[in-house]
Amino acid sequence: METVGRILEISELNVKVLLYQNNLHIKDVITCTMNEKDYEFEIVEIEQNIAYAIPFERVTGLKKGLEVSKKEKGLSVEYSDQILGRIFNSYGQPIDNEKIIESTRTRNVYDRNINMKEISMNNEPLWTGIKALDFFAPLQKGFKMGLLGGAGVGKTVLIKEIINNVYKKFRSNTVFVGVGERSREGKELYDEMEKDNLLDKMSMVFGQMGENPCSRSKAVYSGLTLAEYLRDEKKQDVLIFIDNIYRFVQAKSEIATELKRIPVENGYPATMASDISEVEERINSTQDGSITSFQAIYIPADDITDEAVQAITTHLDGQVVLDRKVAEKGIYPAINVFKTNSKTIDPEKIGNKHYDLVQETLRYLSRYEELEEIIAVLGIDELSEEDRRIFYRSRKLRNYFTQPLFVSENYTGIKGQMVDIKDVLIDVEDILTGKYDEIDESKFLYRGTIHE
Amino acid sequence: MNTHIDELISKKIEQIKTNTNVFESGKVIKVKDYILEVSGLENVAFFEKVTIWEKGMGYINEIRENTVIVAIVKQYEPIQVGDIVNATGEPFKAIFAPESVGRITNLFGIDLLTGNSFDKTTYIDIENPIVPIMDRREVNRPMLTGIAGIDLMYPIGKGQRQLIIGDKKTGKTQIALDTIVNQGIQRRDFGEDTTCIYIAVGKTKKEIRTIYSELLKRNALSYTIMIVSTNEDTPPVISLTPYVGLAIAEEYMAKKKDVLVVIDDLKAHADNYREISLTSGKTPGREAYPADIFYLHARLLEKGCQHKNGGSITILPIVETRGGDITDYISTNIISITDGQIVLSEKEFSKGQKPAISYGVSVSRLGGAVQNEKMKALGTKIRRKLLSYLETKEVYELANMDEMTPELREKMREGKRIQEELKQMKYCPLSEKEIIDKFRELGEENE
Repeated sequence: METVGRILEISELNVKVLLYQNNLHIKDVITCTMNEKDYEFEIVEIEQNIAYAIPFERVTGLKKGLEVSKKEKGLSVEYSDQILGRIFNSYGQPIDNEKIIESTRTRNVYDRNINMKEISMNNEPLWTGIKALDFFAPLQKGFKMGLLGGAGVGKTVLIKEIINNVYKKFRSNTVFVGVGERSREGKELYDEMEKDNLLDKMSMVFGQMGENPCSRSKAVYSGLTLAEYLRDEKKQDVLIFIDNIYRFVQAKSEIATELKRIPVENGYPATMASDISEVEERINSTQDGSITSFQAIYIPADDITDEAVQAITTHLDGQVVLDRKVAEKGIYPAINVFKTNSKTIDPEKIGNKHYDLVQETLRYLSRYEELEEIIAVLGIDELSEEDRRIFYRSRKLRNYFTQPLFVSENYTGIKGQMVDIKDVLIDVEDILTGKYDEIDESKFLYRGTIHE
Repeated sequence: MNTHIDELISKKIEQIKTNTNVFESGKVIKVKDYILEVSGLENVAFFEKVTIWEKGMGYINEIRENTVIVAIVKQYEPIQVGDIVNATGEPFKAIFAPESVGRITNLFGIDLLTGNSFDKTTYIDIENPIVPIMDRREVNRPMLTGIAGIDLMYPIGKGQRQLIIGDKKTGKTQIALDTIVNQGIQRRDFGEDTTCIYIAVGKTKKEIRTIYSELLKRNALSYTIMIVSTNEDTPPVISLTPYVGLAIAEEYMAKKKDVLVVIDDLKAHADNYREISLTSGKTPGREAYPADIFYLHARLLEKGCQHKNGGSITILPIVETRGGDITDYISTNIISITDGQIVLSEKEFSKGQKPAISYGVSVSRLGGAVQNEKMKALGTKIRRKLLSYLETKEVYELANMDEMTPELREKMREGKRIQEELKQMKYCPLSEKEIIDKFRELGEENE
């Protein structure tokens, strides 16, 4: 490989390189070797003959004056049919210590952009078997679904339950992208899939939280590239799970800080919105196949108005918001029904009955919230008969939308259940019309359907 | 230009001839608290150890075009502009002595109780690459704390990272110490061999001495290393100490051993790191913490794992909150890294409930996976009953007891008893069997 320049400055996440010629571009990858260790960097900024590059791994031991050379093809992923069942790092290299991927083609991870002509809509409904999700935020194929929540309210559990229900049911090809999350969870997901012999249709890409920000931000691109291959070349419907897309923005802000770029509020980079668009616009369905995505979104400091969270949610077709206040009451999945929504909540799409029931349920639950405050002061006995009815039925509704999940069997000790949307509609109607007024509210907790 | 280079070269040759400059050296040109700018060190590596002539020691924190930035870790005398800085050609490493078990030490391998260094020491890398995903294994063996409220309902597994979070004086450190002491009982009764590492982050000397004597009194020092930084250490030392503690833990894990690491505490660590970042001119983000504050703790806590070789590192990080708010920036960051949290509340503490665990908001993400069958079955029942009691209590607090349904009255009575039974004094660990005996009756379904 031809040398293209020399290292001038080094800091934790930023290396300044003196270029010999002006033949490098942004997003080119350069490499150097020191003490038999290879270091790789991606160019993010060029100013005359000076380039700034971000290292793929830690730079401990690196020295000034080292010569760097350019890596052909930049950051690219090798792929073929054999990507399914395999596990990759952020830079597209298999890390499951198995055989290499054969008969491959290569794609640069940034190359694919979809134009408007290619985009295709698909209106087939997609049921997850999770009561609260199907009822309050029903999905369609090709949807972008966000699962928002603060720390420790159950985002990962919910995303794993969706993998369990949707992936197992449809068996479509799936890419799981772990971004800035726990390595333990990544390994456990892999182990579970392997144990159940379900790995054959899933590829995984991990850039987990212990890795440097460059690695965390690239995992998304590599994962998307694999999904695009399955859509464009294999012409299949693809599921992509991203846990957690917020970590992508977070990694980008770490890099921007090191490059001494001026940040916006809370230290996010000024380019945040365009960074997110660049990724989100690639997650789309074409004539060849659909991409349905589930994206976990971390809410920092429980602040849902956070700029990054808001910038991501503008791209979504639907969102489920998990709330600490609900989780504290032991209600899981801890869904905040008022902030949860979906573009399909429309009588034309889900039918009048479902639509009306959602509206009525929301009316009950919002009145319940108000009543809770009154009760805290006056007690239940002071309520009017009508309010008392709403109060008790709402508690039953709230309890009804808890669900024993397959993936938390270990924690709850109750066997997981999938519930058909038709059953949910019957049950909700029965609760609202008072069929179960005589039954204790605790009987509604953590079970599937009631009417059977 | 030419004369300047000639001058430089002849000077260098002169130095080599007279042997005055065996190592490469440079000069301090700027001093800003514990951050130095040094010119003349052309051939140093990132994170290399440097010495400041007779005055201190530091490491290379940044390499710039004409100068380098050095963070000071040790200082005997005030450093001035013009002081000579020597490169050592080695990365900055911590010193560890295997005989420091039972002693208080720091990252320079000094026995702080005597002030001397240990006899046999080894250099260890401060930060190793994290254990790759494929070398990890499922966390499924219990790490018993001896505290019923934890072992039964929010169990901790070997290789788990369980946060202990709460306000000042709510017993956070106590839970960690109880757990360390209980490892001695596990060792005595069941032959389990867990090494404990207590890491103090910028604590006072008195606090550290107190913890030392508490552990000494309870024979917990034969298997415990205390690696500490006091509030007198320079911020770079305070910020590196937890990494060193974990690096030591990794040495044990590589020998297939189980390690329990307590980090006391990470809020202080975050504040300390913020100080370094702002001093070295990094852009502040949310609450003025630098953007990489999440990464700082993520890569530290990701060292906790169940390794496929059989060894494990369990981490109990401690975070101090203010006004019981666990939703501030640092707390939620760490909650999003750990595998669960034990929340301690001042309210419960002043009501006399000890340990002052706030059961509604505490979580263990691994749950029953790390418990034996009996504990798991009992634990899920007790937890469900208690949580449902706590939730109902809030709503029906003002309701008339006599008008309640008998079912509800029974639930309230039982919930209260569970809460009562969970009270436990410090250093009174219960074994799994004792916990099961105590709660068996309460776990029975009464339908």
